Amino acid sequence: MTTLWDTTGSAVVKELAAQRRTGGAVMSGVALTLVVVADESRVTEAEQAASAAAEVHPCRLLIVVRRQIEAPVPRLDAEVLVGGRLGPGEAVVMRMYGRLGLHAESVVLPLLAADAPVVTWWHEAPPDQIARDPLGVIADRRITDASMAADPVAALRVRAEDYAPGDTDLAWTRSTPWRATLASTLDSVSGRRGEPVRVIGGQVEGDPENASARLVAGWLSSRCGCDIQVVAGARVPGPSGIDSVELHLDQDEEVRLQDDRKGGAVIAQPFRPEAVVALPDRSLGELVGEELRRLDSDEPYSEALESVTGTTGLSDRPACRDHVWFDPMRPDQTVEPTNGSGEVDGGSATARPAPTVPDVPGDTDEIALSGEHDSPADDSDEQPAVSGRRAPAKKAARK
Amino acid sequence: MPTNPLRDPRDRRLPRVPEPCALVVFGITGDLARKKLLPAVYDLANRGLLPTNFALLGFARRDWGDVEFSELARSAAREHARTPWREEVWERLANSVRFIQGSFDDDNAFDELAENLAELEGSHGIGGNAAFYLSIPPAMFPTVLKQMQRTGMAESTPDRWRRVVVEKPFGTDLASSRELNALVDSVFTADDVFRIDHYLGKETVQNLLALRFANTLFEPIWNGNHVDSVQITMAEDVGIGGRAGFYEKTGAARDVLQNHLLQLLALTAMEEPVEFSAEEIRTEKLKVLRAVSVPEDKERFAVRGQYEQGWLAGQRATGYRQEEGVSEDSTTETYAAVRLGVETRRWAGVPFYLRTGKRLPRRVTEIALVFKRAPHLPFAPTDTEELGHNQLVIRVQPDEGVTLKFGSKVPGSVMEVRDVAMDFLYGEQFTEASPEAYERLLLDVLLGDATLFPRNAEVEASWAVIDPLEEYWAATTPQPYRAGEWGPRAADAMLEAEGRQWRRP
Repeated sequence: MTTLWDTTGSAVVKELAAQRRTGGAVMSGVALTLVVVADESRVTEAEQAASAAAEVHPCRLLIVVRRQIEAPVPRLDAEVLVGGRLGPGEAVVMRMYGRLGLHAESVVLPLLAADAPVVTWWHEAPPDQIARDPLGVIADRRITDASMAADPVAALRVRAEDYAPGDTDLAWTRSTPWRATLASTLDSVSGRRGEPVRVIGGQVEGDPENASARLVAGWLSSRCGCDIQVVAGARVPGPSGIDSVELHLDQDEEVRLQDDRKGGAVIAQPFRPEAVVALPDRSLGELVGEELRRLDSDEPYSEALESVTGTTGLSDRPACRDHVWFDPMRPDQTVEPTNGSGEVDGGSATARPAPTVPDVPGDTDEIALSGEHDSPADDSDEQPAVSGRRAPAKKAARK
Repeated sequence: MPTNPLRDPRDRRLPRVPEPCALVVFGITGDLARKKLLPAVYDLANRGLLPTNFALLGFARRDWGDVEFSELARSAAREHARTPWREEVWERLANSVRFIQGSFDDDNAFDELAENLAELEGSHGIGGNAAFYLSIPPAMFPTVLKQMQRTGMAESTPDRWRRVVVEKPFGTDLASSRELNALVDSVFTADDVFRIDHYLGKETVQNLLALRFANTLFEPIWNGNHVDSVQITMAEDVGIGGRAGFYEKTGAARDVLQNHLLQLLALTAMEEPVEFSAEEIRTEKLKVLRAVSVPEDKERFAVRGQYEQGWLAGQRATGYRQEEGVSEDSTTETYAAVRLGVETRRWAGVPFYLRTGKRLPRRVTEIALVFKRAPHLPFAPTDTEELGHNQLVIRVQPDEGVTLKFGSKVPGSVMEVRDVAMDFLYGEQFTEASPEAYERLLLDVLLGDATLFPRNAEVEASWAVIDPLEEYWAATTPQPYRAGEWGPRAADAMLEAEGRQWRRP
């Protein structure tokens, strides 16, 4: 592991390459790059989840922590790990201070695994408009988590407003076990009948403010073509937000799933005894792992989201976003680009950021200088390049 | 009109879950059941892949109650499960576990089993569907199958399915496998018989189909114009363990060559199936197996070996004839290597070298395609002295993945070309996620998906390849090799005769 203090993006790229060379067992077969955008207070949690997911899906892990956007001098600290704390693969944890946070892509872009999909996961409040975060614009798949918001249902609405194919939400991922059980329960009804099943109504009992519960109800409504709502139940539901689901079927039949509070659910269906299935709570890492399994757009999610929020045509929207410049220091000036057109970075003079990105002259790009010949003296020509311009010299602390 | 409105082909998060059913395991106290089947059932449950109404019935001679059985099943599952242990998952499963005590010729025990099944149909809602897993020696098959026929357990009706799972060995030669097939087919219909070859459940083997048929890169060179030879190796470092009785009668060729290696050969050599379905894949595999030719000169191209004492992994290993339960003048082989041909337009003239053995230096299974040398090399002969054949290696186990070996310039001021290997590591990263072979195969049985199961025509075609070899070998003594070396000298001579050599896996 190497920690680079007050460093540059090029130094990080070089360090990663150096670690790959000296690390011995270089992991081949990197299938994707996972960019995690986390809040300083949640970094550890995000690191654990991301490395658990990386064990299942080999990926390059880039964790971006933006701090003190108001800091006068931009600064980048980076930790480069190959086969260490963050799992078997390559990982870089970057802390970005000052206005560098608004240009995080300048550090991240050269670190992406070549020609592999990019997944960005916000383990913090995501931007209302994903297009405002360049790390979302470069991603093929974007993972948010509505249940982290104070008002998860409002957060779902924001996600629907902003939706583009390739967006997904961990509140939806959390609903998979419930949905799988519901689907297999109806399988067994139709298997017994030997003919199709129709759902004519039903309800989800649980917490109407829970995003996962709402999405399950929305999914049922969209699949069954009838209105299924979340109603507050007598019991306080568990973390899934769902206490029970009841479906009214044709031929006067009914199925019911009830959370048994012991990590399972009881299934009641006609002509069958009650059965218990396991519905274990899954860790954050498992949820992210499920998201990494598929990288194409998730139509059932967009349909459930439409049904929850009353929006339409989500899956017809273009999958690509254009970056919309947004300066959190001057939020008043960026109201107009909500239509998503035009106002890209630097497009409007008023929103132009103060030129405080590291002002390293072009001729000190270490990769251009020394990338071709891997002389052992690499460090020596990099030292003056960085320390010559600005006071705190790069200190490489190797463990 | 979809039968279930909640099923959406685009919704690939929802797993394929079998219909409500029961799994009946004969020989539940055996090694395989404890180490593989029970953990696989737990792992399936843990992944949410078992139906909501599911029952597990164990049948064995041991005098046990449900409680003792449940305790054994729990410890076996816990010890060998690949997914994290969740007590609540096991508890759900344990509720539907039953044990039936009896010997296989005991009519009462089978009546009890039938009653239990009928009762579970109602109480556990399994809907009459059941899969019977015969984890018992083949000698017991007739007894058990007749019992099932007598009690009417084996009949599939439109309302319910009944399937049977058979483990290898599927007979000991063509005649006995025909007999066995006839017997099984007389009780179950052919579509309800699942023959488990656990190698086919391995991810890499399935990945071989993806590698070949999902890419444009490999198929154009996947033929005799570019391939010089194919080597398929399955090596084990262990000896025969406590299975002397079984092994003395079987030997390496019947134990491994007939099933695993020939199946790997079939998947390597087969033409593209019309679609990725059980029927089409089996059709193509069968075509290849029927096209396999056995060498004329068996003395040179069909080698048997038997290990003698030696050193392996820093430990002394006893010779085969000194193993407990093996006769001192045993002529059973623990190593077999053979040169086969595949008489099709694609493969004519390309030798397929198959080898398997016990007490070899390491445990490894791989398929290596060795390519022809470039027809012309514009370099000086000294520059390419160390350049070998290009190779594409599919590593089945361990380190599941693919290796591509090709020539590359040695850094420096002179032109020198040497072999380098490019690795794609598949298993290491996916070990936790990818299901164990038995898990996958059990699930397929319950789903009724026969893609990964050889059908009886394939088994018979495989025996047709092995029988002439066994016939020739019957009059010979296996060549000795030291435990811990890569087989007898004669196996090396077999390749040297054609100017080739074994790849060291």
